[in-house]
Amino acid sequence: MCASWVIALRFFDSPTSKPGGIDRVTDTAQSSLAHTAGHKPPIWRNITFLKWAVQIVVLALVVGAFWFLAKEARQNLIDKNLDPSFNFIEGPANFQPGEGIDTQPDTAGRALWVGMVNTLRLAGLGIVASTILGVMVGLARLSNNWVANKAAGIFIETLRNIPVLVQIILWFAIISQLGKLTPESGKLGGSFFFTKKGISVPRIFLADGFYQWATLMLVFTAGLLFTRRKLHAKQDREGGNQRIATKLFVLTIVAAVVATIINPIMSFLGPVFDEISDIWGDIPRGLMQTALSLIAIAGAVEFIRRFLNSRRTPAGLAKLDDDDWFRMIFAGVMAMLAVAFFWKAWPGLSSWIIHSGSDFFGVAGDKFGGGRGARPFDAMLPSVTDNNITNYAKTGLTMTVGFTALFMGLVFYTASFIAEIVRGGILAVPKGQSEAAAAVGLSRSQALRKVILPQAFRVVMPPLGNQYLNITKNTSLAIAVGLSDVVQVGQSVYNKNNQTLAVFAIWIAFFLSLSLTISFVVNTINRKLAIVER
Amino acid sequence: MSDTQILVADDSEEPLTNTRPEIPIVAPRRWLKENLFSSKSNTIQTFLFTGLMLSIVRWLLSLIFAEASDWTSVTTNMRLLFGYNYPAEQFIRVWFCLGVIIVAAMFTMGAWNAKPDFSLRKMAISTTAGGGFLAMIWFMCTVGFGFAPLQKVDGMPSGLRLGTFLLAALLIALGLGVLNFVHEPHKIWIKFTTVLYAFAGAVVAFLWLVPFGRYEFADGEVINESGTVATSTKVPWTYMMLLLVGAYFVGRWLRQFIPEGSYRMVMVIWWIVGPSFLIFHVLRDPAFDMGYVFRVDIPMALAFGLGGGALLYALAKPGRGELARVVGAVLLFFAAYNWLTAGLGSGHLFGWESMLQKARITFLMLSFAVLMAPTFSGEPAARRRFAYGWIGFIAISHWLITGVNTPSTLDIAAPPFLGGFVLTVAIAYYVFLASFPLGILMALARTSKLPLFRVMSTVYIEFIRGIPLITVLFFFSIMLNLFLPNGMTISELGAIFVGYTLFSGAYMAENIRGGLQAIRKGQYEASDSLGLTTVQRTLLIVLPQALRVTIPNLVGQAIGTFKETSLIAIVGGFDLLRIGNSTIPAQSVFQGQKRPALLFVCFVYWVFAYSMSRASRRLETKLDVGD
Repeated sequence: MCASWVIALRFFDSPTSKPGGIDRVTDTAQSSLAHTAGHKPPIWRNITFLKWAVQIVVLALVVGAFWFLAKEARQNLIDKNLDPSFNFIEGPANFQPGEGIDTQPDTAGRALWVGMVNTLRLAGLGIVASTILGVMVGLARLSNNWVANKAAGIFIETLRNIPVLVQIILWFAIISQLGKLTPESGKLGGSFFFTKKGISVPRIFLADGFYQWATLMLVFTAGLLFTRRKLHAKQDREGGNQRIATKLFVLTIVAAVVATIINPIMSFLGPVFDEISDIWGDIPRGLMQTALSLIAIAGAVEFIRRFLNSRRTPAGLAKLDDDDWFRMIFAGVMAMLAVAFFWKAWPGLSSWIIHSGSDFFGVAGDKFGGGRGARPFDAMLPSVTDNNITNYAKTGLTMTVGFTALFMGLVFYTASFIAEIVRGGILAVPKGQSEAAAAVGLSRSQALRKVILPQAFRVVMPPLGNQYLNITKNTSLAIAVGLSDVVQVGQSVYNKNNQTLAVFAIWIAFFLSLSLTISFVVNTINRKLAIVER
Repeated sequence: MSDTQILVADDSEEPLTNTRPEIPIVAPRRWLKENLFSSKSNTIQTFLFTGLMLSIVRWLLSLIFAEASDWTSVTTNMRLLFGYNYPAEQFIRVWFCLGVIIVAAMFTMGAWNAKPDFSLRKMAISTTAGGGFLAMIWFMCTVGFGFAPLQKVDGMPSGLRLGTFLLAALLIALGLGVLNFVHEPHKIWIKFTTVLYAFAGAVVAFLWLVPFGRYEFADGEVINESGTVATSTKVPWTYMMLLLVGAYFVGRWLRQFIPEGSYRMVMVIWWIVGPSFLIFHVLRDPAFDMGYVFRVDIPMALAFGLGGGALLYALAKPGRGELARVVGAVLLFFAAYNWLTAGLGSGHLFGWESMLQKARITFLMLSFAVLMAPTFSGEPAARRRFAYGWIGFIAISHWLITGVNTPSTLDIAAPPFLGGFVLTVAIAYYVFLASFPLGILMALARTSKLPLFRVMSTVYIEFIRGIPLITVLFFFSIMLNLFLPNGMTISELGAIFVGYTLFSGAYMAENIRGGLQAIRKGQYEASDSLGLTTVQRTLLIVLPQALRVTIPNLVGQAIGTFKETSLIAIVGGFDLLRIGNSTIPAQSVFQGQKRPALLFVCFVYWVFAYSMSRASRRLETKLDVGD
């Protein structure tokens, strides 16, 4: 008797899953007895109703809890006379970030932007450096040479097991006590300085002609890609070694040099961008809001259309279960929320797009004004004036002690993880591949380059993307060494203005967008590399 | 298989069957030629990497023995690093906790039969290599290579130099002696117990024989006596080593009388509940008011325990049907109503006094248990187990909660009473324990058929995984009190714990989701054909298999959690890193001495994390999961 009572509180129905997908199991049970066929169970035992009832109740509880907490927070903030809005962004900064593109910011918003640029800089450099170091150590770990193998092994095992914060602080303690030299005695080779202030190197920066040169290079790149396709077709037709890589390399160098010389011809783009800026600035706000709403609605419509297409069978549209309806309704609801957002909740977004678009094109127009002899790059040596190394914005490029400590700590820590990932990836390639490559006559390095590493890359990509996310998030530890990244600047801002909630929102938005961008890029590369099966 | 020698005969052990493949033994010169000098590029690599490693070792030694590094800052502050504010007179409690943990660990090892054994030849080679390494250190500090960057390192104290030389000579002699004079060392396997004896004996001898000197603070000055070993820790460590050896044998002996399943379950339950008792009852030393305990607490516990157990036994009878669900729903409503109206003062619920917090929590738990009763219905034995489980749960939780609610007798300078390394371990343990069920829930929700649950858990997981831990910790340590209604506050450590658990739960969910996806469809179909309910299927079929596959990732997560507790140093907790980085350099005697303390902190973290990762690898091979 009890076995026939279907228990309906199925909170966490696990699906009968095939790997990587969620099966859709039909819920309506068909009875085979004549006198009960066609009877539907009463509503308090009806699976469909109970499923949705449970979900809606839990959703109501969660939303209710959030609303309750928000109410409490609002009440508490009002009691403490704090203003939970974003007005402080236009207010004065009242402090100075130690390094960055602007060490004297006018507004708190500008200071936060300086912090964000520092974080991006750290993350970018960190990703590049740790990948290079990690791949080298990973390959060393697989070497036949016992010393290289053990050395890489010790590197990995030591650095993986010490927390990254401890490593960063240790580097900071070491470096800040190292360079007790005066600027004079720290001079290496005339253009590198290594002092208590940090490491100073010559700075290469973008000069007047850079944007013209870059646009010209874009045009030449299109030509180079065309040439590449032609060369590959020739190789497929005729065989032999056409030395495609060498030819393309030489052509690229020639194109870069030519572009350096003839880049002023691109200066006609300057007035063009100015015109665009004027036109853009004149767009009425309502037009922009309508455009954004149309984009949101078009996106939802496209999603629904593609979804319905994927459910089409040769016999017509398949029966849609409530999961499918939910997806379509969700898309529609999102589109409507987006429209309401653009029109009601934040109309300032459209104005901002108009104004900053016009600013952007205006600035772009200014960049294209270089006259004859405009150079794309220029360099400046670090200089010492009055026993003081001047900082980044003036001359040379100084990595402060905090930056160096954070950089070293992060790169070594992440490189040890990347080394293990690379090692796992190369070991995952079946041994038959290297044996087959040897049988065909490829040398060891050719086999590595053409056969093993491309396959290893496929295995390595997802965990490598994960490590990139980790290094991006670990840059937030700069607060421990006093480096002005977005977390440290944010903390200074909210210590002065008491605007904790708003700063948290900015942090969350910034890190989420950065993480989502990196995940998106990694996933795209992953999809391109996936094995195409029948 | 005939020439298997067992070095220490054990009585109740099964004979050691040697089924390992024979590793060919290569003569030293041929090995060198093959591995180091086989080709030109190989030779170049050898010299390059050897030079690199030697210069790194030299640099580390120069850091350690530099003039500016004052290592007495570490030796004097050992108690601070490991216990921070804990009052020195009460330190016996810390030793007691450590002893209990050692005993429990050894019992666990006995329960799971997790003994590695070591090949004598490998041990001899490792001993020789260790001796060689020490000899190289001695050489680097005494003579040096004469050219930069491999020149001599100054600053090593002469006593230490002599000790290093003697130890290196001893180890090399021992290793080479075994290799040359023992017949066929690669076929001899040393039992774990022998190594345990030797290790404990060596540590005790080391403590009692080597003159360490006594380092302490007294009236703000540093006492620095040479000659005798630090008298305050010599005796406790000896007791700990005795416990280490003794507990292992007692555990093995107990295994003869207690069935293996129950032994393992008892050990698992102990590890879940025991540390809380150690922290909140032993370390914190609550001052129980025995009169109140006998008047109110014990009767309440008895009423809930026995009454609830009887109710559950009755409701779990197979013929009851939906009665349990109905009763459970009523109880849930009653408990929720009580909870929500708690702040409205007494007399609200039909004129009754508002309940004690403990009673409210217990009613909530009882309602959940009653709702789950049909899942555990069956024969009387199964129902009795369910009822006993409830009674045990009530006994333990009421005892804990009473202890937590009672004020402590400790006389500390500033709360909390946990600090230093104890805080690191405690936070790591509690976060792992709490994020485990949260992760399971979120993983099950994310792979659920119900779309709203899927969306909610996906949003939660992706949101948390996108932001760094430090922002989460800042948010919770500053904002949590702002979100709570008036009158409810949470301590800073509590807020950090909540934030860290939510963060760790998202990562745990992703790990477990991988395990869930590895279960074949046939398992679900088979459990459906047996008539198991969804909850039964999840608890008995799906989760055991999923968790078994995920064990390597879970251990990696545990190691990561342990390492990331160092971030508490930034948000204001006084853990090991903060003491090493800020507190010690701030003491007037050791002004600005950062490097020795930081190197020591690095070393402590490394030792624990490395041991955990080695144990994890052995666990993987034993369970045959992972790659």
